[in-house]
Amino acid sequence: MSGIFDTDVENAWCPGCGNVPILNAVKKALERTGKPRHEIVLVSGIGQAAKLPHHVDVNVFNGLHGRALPAALAIRMANPSLTVVVTSGDGDIYGEGGNHFVHNIRRNPDIAVFVHDNQVYGLTKGQPSPTSDPGWTGSLQRTGVISGPFPPLAVAIALGCGFVARGIAADIEFTADLMFQAIAHKGFALVDILQPCVTFNKKNTYQWYGKMAYKLPADHDAADRVRAFELSLEWEERIPIGVLYRREDRPCFEELHPGVGDPPLHARETPPDAVRDLLRKRLFTLP
Amino acid sequence: MGIDVNIRVMGGAGQGVHTAGGLLCRLAVATGHHLHATQDYMSRIRGGRNSYSVRIREIPVRAGRPQADIVLSLDPGHLPHILSSVSPAGIVVCDLPAGEAGSADPRVIATPLKELSASSGSPILANIVGAGIVARALGIPPEMVDRVLTLEFKGDFLEKNRVAARLGAEWAQGRVPDSFRLPERAFQARMILAGNEALVLGAIAGGCKFAVGYPMTPGSGILLGLSVDGPPLGLVFEQAEDEIAALNMAIGASYAGARAMVATSGGGFALMVEALSLAGMLETPVVVALGMRPGPATGMPTRTGQEELAFVRSAGHGEFPRLVLSPGSVEEAYALAHHAMEMSEAYQVPCILLTDQYLADTVVDADPGDFPALPVNRRIVHGNDVPRDAKGRYLRYAFAGDGVSPMAVPGEPGITVVVDSDEHTEDGHLTEDHAVRIAMVEKRIRKGEALEMETLPPLLSGPPDGEVLLIGFGSTKGVIAEAREILSAGGVSAAAVHLRQVAPFPARAVSEILDRYRTAFTVENNRTGQLARLIRAETGREVSGTIARFDGLPFTPEELARGVKERR
Repeated sequence: MSGIFDTDVENAWCPGCGNVPILNAVKKALERTGKPRHEIVLVSGIGQAAKLPHHVDVNVFNGLHGRALPAALAIRMANPSLTVVVTSGDGDIYGEGGNHFVHNIRRNPDIAVFVHDNQVYGLTKGQPSPTSDPGWTGSLQRTGVISGPFPPLAVAIALGCGFVARGIAADIEFTADLMFQAIAHKGFALVDILQPCVTFNKKNTYQWYGKMAYKLPADHDAADRVRAFELSLEWEERIPIGVLYRREDRPCFEELHPGVGDPPLHARETPPDAVRDLLRKRLFTLP
Repeated sequence: MGIDVNIRVMGGAGQGVHTAGGLLCRLAVATGHHLHATQDYMSRIRGGRNSYSVRIREIPVRAGRPQADIVLSLDPGHLPHILSSVSPAGIVVCDLPAGEAGSADPRVIATPLKELSASSGSPILANIVGAGIVARALGIPPEMVDRVLTLEFKGDFLEKNRVAARLGAEWAQGRVPDSFRLPERAFQARMILAGNEALVLGAIAGGCKFAVGYPMTPGSGILLGLSVDGPPLGLVFEQAEDEIAALNMAIGASYAGARAMVATSGGGFALMVEALSLAGMLETPVVVALGMRPGPATGMPTRTGQEELAFVRSAGHGEFPRLVLSPGSVEEAYALAHHAMEMSEAYQVPCILLTDQYLADTVVDADPGDFPALPVNRRIVHGNDVPRDAKGRYLRYAFAGDGVSPMAVPGEPGITVVVDSDEHTEDGHLTEDHAVRIAMVEKRIRKGEALEMETLPPLLSGPPDGEVLLIGFGSTKGVIAEAREILSAGGVSAAAVHLRQVAPFPARAVSEILDRYRTAFTVENNRTGQLARLIRAETGREVSGTIARFDGLPFTPEELARGVKERR
């Protein structure tokens, strides 16, 4: 497949990697927005998923492990005319960056966050991630994971996130549509993507996800927060995919923050007269 | 020499120590005098023992004195802690109910501050009654106190304050000696501000448009100032969920083209260290204001120290250039904060403003001429000035002669800005090519060499050669200067060097100065002599020793002069 956002950067993923269809879905979603490449910023942390932005011909901020969200928030604050999309892994967003995940949902900046959730640390070669199933054996937990899994969608719904969805790497069209909706949503939009790791996760495979995942019925009421929360906890027997929860009435951070807006920060001047006025306030003169 | 009066307001947190101290500062300037005020406070919200010391002279003052001439004690329970630091001819105006003997010490004047305050109609104004008494002791007319109070309060509360101050002045009549009368002097307009406030103004004057942080003393005062004074000039402020987020946010904003800064203390900076390295790799300008306090760990949260010199110079994994500036005065805090904003962008390096609790909370009166509106030189490139590859793509990390690649920002048609924390190619994409790696390392190091060419030279005062040289960095500047004067007056020929930049280190200039003196001491608020070790590493020269103070309090001139005489 070739498109307007292709780059010639060498692919560093394994053959059959779930990141490849996710990349194709991201490109499709971005193309559908009709936005020019200079208005889009892809932000990521570190990991195999976090390499995705290098394969999309837009602005790229590939920062530190776990720290994609703070950078993405600040880019939006500095220039709200930019479309900011975070695309990174489950270890990156839910583990190392967990605090930023929680507090940016609270802030509700207009950022779409795509989490490639393969339930494993791939690039560091097979350690369990925050979403690994209990009992799963990884390279650092030989006797099996004993911590309970982090439920990203439940946490997001509990925190009042306005767009909570789950995609699946194997279905590019379906996931691209969720991504498009997430970008269009005004506020923090989470798309957790079921992603097989063909090398290190022999449990949660394409076949396993294919068997477990089911599309939410057309009559699912995404405005029903309690129902959405129930659905977000479904995992053991089957896994719902689609938009679990959505509300459009919550103002986004950029609208509420008194300083954010036009002009973008890079275009704001520092007039000497304004500086002199500020300094004069510290000048002590007798009344 | 003229008058030299040291006034100390003491009380618990919440008793109005800061308000009374601030009022005395303004009264000093209103009567044509100069002042230096320091604060000593405990890490609590209410109670404890806090103090605000105001030293008043006819010449600009740049250091405090341990002995107070006039103490205003709002809490009689503090008396046992106060008396040892009152000068022999001093007075202690102490809140004691009428008829209650406070102390056998003749310097103590039992004063019913709370009762006077209650009779003024406002029981919470004991501090203002006390300030009225102190003003009378200084010979400041009540009319002047009235005038200055109109700057502090409004309406009904102003009137209550005026009544309280007058009651104090009337009570003092015949009860409080006027041996500390200030001479009459002509008023001149002066800036009155603290180190943290000056740093904030310098950063804003330097074009800072994005500020973020997580509260931590003494960095919180900088955050407060940025959040209040910044927005009228277009600055956007946000409180981060932690310090890690703070510096990553500042870097994100800088990527988008904003001049950005964070403020913190040592512990918060420790959390920012990985992101400091990110700024080094991405070559995003960013300024970190670090107010030092004693460590390790939580240490003494509200006290002063200079323990992070070695830390800030080496913080961050990997090798990358950085600028570390160490302002020595309120005026330098302003100038160097502006300089940090300019240099950080000019060389695309992180810059650390290394200050401490002492300078943060030090209030002085300053010449308005030392606070100019300096130019802001933005260096963002656009359109045809952007370096591109054969396909027309922007090369964010184009190999430039001095290593500084032209910086564009996202949002401009025809340009995409790609940055990566991995080693990267000229177009910003990750690479494992060893030849590119070498070229990129060399590019970053070349920036450091260019930065070094603009190193601010150390400031030498005193004889160009001689017996004793005192070397300090940061907040010790004023104390060392006065200690030098004391030594010179006592027949010891002494010179002083103040380092306002510690990375890149002005090695050649320091070497040349060191060679001209028989003995040289570093003066440092740390135990291990970090500056002495730095000088050894950078110049190969040994200083004669280190005069160290690490109890959490700043040096004072007499103590320092005494230390030099003992060590000489």
